[in-house]
Amino acid sequence: MDFQGIYDRLRAAKAPGLLDCDLPRAGDPADKKDQGRAGDAFVLVDPAHWADFFRTCKQDERLGFEQLIDLSATDPAKDDENFWVNVQLLSLKHKHRLAVKALLPKDPGRIATLARVYRAAQWHERECAEMFGITFEGHPDPRNILLPDDWAGSPLRKDYEFPKEYHGISCE
Amino acid sequence: MNDGNALYRFLQPHAPDFVPDWGVVLTVAIIGVSIVIAIVGLIALAGTWAERKVSAHIQCRYGPMYVGGWHGWAQALADGIKLISKEDMIPVGADRMLFMLSPSILLGSVFAALCAMPLAPAFYFGYIDLGVFMILAFSSLTTIGVVMAGWASNSKWSLYGAMREAAQVVAYEIPLGVSLLAPLLVVGTFNMVEASNAQADYFGMGWLAFKNPFVLGASVIFFIAVLAETKRAPFDLPEAESELVAGFLTEYSGIRWSLFFMEEYAAMFLMSVVTAFFFFGGFESPLSYLAMKSFGDGYVYQVVCFLTLAAKGSFGIFMMMWLRWTLPRLRIDQVMTMGYKYLTPLALFCVLGAGIWEAIKHAVS
Amino acid sequence: MSEQTTQYKPSITIADQQAAAGKGAREFMMDVRTTDLEVNMGPQHPATHGVMRILIRADGELVTGAQPHLGYLHRCAEKIGENVEWLQYLPYTDRYDYLSSMNNNLGYSLAVEKLLGIEIPRRASMIRTICVELNRIASHLVAFGTYGLDLGAFTPFLYCFREREWLLMLFEKICGARLTYSYLRIGGVFNDAPPGWLEEVEQFCDVFDEKWVEYRDLLMMNHIFIKRTADIGVITPEQALDFGLTGPMLRGSGIDWDLRRDMPYMLYDEIWKAGVYQIPLGSGAQGVLGDCWDRVYVRVQEMVESIKIVRWCLANIEPGPTIAELPKVLRVPPGEAYVGIENPRGELGHYLVSDGGKVAVRCRVRGPSFCNLPILEDIMPHTFLADSVAIIGSTDVVIGETDR
Repeated sequence: MDFQGIYDRLRAAKAPGLLDCDLPRAGDPADKKDQGRAGDAFVLVDPAHWADFFRTCKQDERLGFEQLIDLSATDPAKDDENFWVNVQLLSLKHKHRLAVKALLPKDPGRIATLARVYRAAQWHERECAEMFGITFEGHPDPRNILLPDDWAGSPLRKDYEFPKEYHGISCE
Repeated sequence: MNDGNALYRFLQPHAPDFVPDWGVVLTVAIIGVSIVIAIVGLIALAGTWAERKVSAHIQCRYGPMYVGGWHGWAQALADGIKLISKEDMIPVGADRMLFMLSPSILLGSVFAALCAMPLAPAFYFGYIDLGVFMILAFSSLTTIGVVMAGWASNSKWSLYGAMREAAQVVAYEIPLGVSLLAPLLVVGTFNMVEASNAQADYFGMGWLAFKNPFVLGASVIFFIAVLAETKRAPFDLPEAESELVAGFLTEYSGIRWSLFFMEEYAAMFLMSVVTAFFFFGGFESPLSYLAMKSFGDGYVYQVVCFLTLAAKGSFGIFMMMWLRWTLPRLRIDQVMTMGYKYLTPLALFCVLGAGIWEAIKHAVS
Repeated sequence: MSEQTTQYKPSITIADQQAAAGKGAREFMMDVRTTDLEVNMGPQHPATHGVMRILIRADGELVTGAQPHLGYLHRCAEKIGENVEWLQYLPYTDRYDYLSSMNNNLGYSLAVEKLLGIEIPRRASMIRTICVELNRIASHLVAFGTYGLDLGAFTPFLYCFREREWLLMLFEKICGARLTYSYLRIGGVFNDAPPGWLEEVEQFCDVFDEKWVEYRDLLMMNHIFIKRTADIGVITPEQALDFGLTGPMLRGSGIDWDLRRDMPYMLYDEIWKAGVYQIPLGSGAQGVLGDCWDRVYVRVQEMVESIKIVRWCLANIEPGPTIAELPKVLRVPPGEAYVGIENPRGELGHYLVSDGGKVAVRCRVRGPSFCNLPILEDIMPHTFLADSVAIIGSTDVVIGETDR
């Protein structure tokens, strides 16, 4: 299925929390400032129904997203009040992908875990949690994965300040 | 008291009158020990160099080529100097006594075993009636050294190596001993010189393994058990590099580590020699037969015999290296299964078969 | 797929061995219960292929729990991606999976090209395909050789490295680097292949076809090797999907999925339609479907398939430009794109977000090694210590990529 087909199917299946979709579009040649939007289409999902949405995606026959390929977050800007939580789903049976995005308020930055829907999400969420300071509620193993256990701050946030030293080792 | 010692017999008539008998014995002992130490050192040097060269040529490389000029012959020597001049390190939590003692125990036991090995039909340190028994007994003692090293190192990997060594040696002592019974049954003596002499017929090719098909079978089992005893691949589980870092050797470095290696190569040579004595003719070969026929049992014959034995021992070592650089390593349960379930019954079968074969042969003749 | 498979059970617990025996894979009966031993395999350990650390709980030789710990090689690739220009980031892509740098370059370039919406010249695509497939062979040679090393067979490793050396020399000729190429650029390739290079590639293909058979017979068909790898570390197809495994790990479990064929990029659609290559799958030929042997054998078979693709490219390559026209300072139109390509280890994904500026807002890298690793926690318990080495080796991780 192409993106439109998947989106229609999600609508038809009444996927919980489905908000909207965003399609790439060409820029307006007349307006210099409008460059359009390049890249992939994605669906926007309400973070409140986060896990249920993916359950639908996984269990619906026509969608059949067996694999969660990637889960990460994006901090679009320092003064933006939302994170984006991005997920890439893949269906091997139907040979299609779906990009899912949720706008998650930075404060308090809590979202349900997907580790019980896709085991693949477990490590991605651990990484995402330590890099952005997002809390994945109900995560079975919420430890740091790449950073040391005592690392302060969330490095991939745009307002992250590089530490001057770490355990007496100068970082400058 | 020293009738068995060829060196004593040689030196005793030449000794001046004022030298007491114990002086001759002492001299003999010192010379003998020096010879054994020299042999072990030589084997270790040649062994490490050969291991590098054999592995290199199996792997389409040259190996060491620079040190000493001709094909890097001095590489082992240079390594030895490096190892001796290294800092002697003992881990903090180690049991210092045992840690320092274990290489000595290993090397000591292999020295003792080497003393029972005759170098030529008329040159030996002891004409021991239970010669091979003594060798097997002393070479089993090396296990204690390994277990000691593993325990004393205060490292989990070392402990794993030690436990594996203990389990493996216990499992393979049985097929080792039992499969050796087959040729012993045929030749009827534990004495290595006598066993060798018994194989001098058929132009020096009357080797026990060719006289009795079950002994040939037993020789294969014996060789496999020897591989396990000497911790060579595919049975190198005690030091299994990719699993246990270096097993019981993990914490060792410098001179102590090199002592372990001296022991390994000496044990390899020793066991190859035992294989040669009881399965493949010992001193006997067509060459030694010719020497015997042409020059009698004088010096020429002795030298040819010594060279024959050295060649057979070296070939055994080469076989071990060849296997090591060809085969993957077994897993511990597979090693145990092979030892207990397959090799032990097969070895018993070979002994039985060898006995029946001999009985039939006697009945027919 | 039920929710059942997704229930997380920490493996570092005292596992019930009776339950393990009941599963029927292997039986361990113990009379005496003693305290389990916790062993740190790594960060410095010959079998962890770098600086991974696996905390192993072992009952003697029997592993009862395993927990991978990462991060010893974390180099902040994603943060760097948000601080350097689009073109400047390319050399950093070399460094995540340093054994398949060409593939990493390709993944990143394709993602940026998708945002830019540009077409790349056909000759560039051809050279890209040749380089990527040769790099796949080089990477699989390392995987295969070091796997033999893990199991104690030293010699095949050297043979593999001899062939890899030839490949590295070819790469050196085309781009001057042996490991971190940065040769596949945004818009094409850095420069055209030097004269005679394509003929040399052809020579390599001829030799490799012969050698490949030898290596397969030497190691893959070795009885001890089969005994050590068959029935070990079995990943069921359900597990493989649930854990998001990709690449040879997924195909080793018998799932027919290859991005080159199923979600084609560059010229792979055309090559597949020409019937050039096959997708090797695990079949359980020596044991259970999805065991270590299957996974390794998939890699071994993929090497000849890559040779076929290279041969097709060599036969069909035509002269032409090798890089698209691009401005000196690249400004990528705002938007976001995800591009996944078939790396030797699985799907390498780049999720790039641009706001129209000179640098990326987000440069997410989905490394296949990272995603293929969590399965260890599930398949390592109830194996022997030596098996755990075989299992780690069969996942073919490159720590540079798990930690990025």
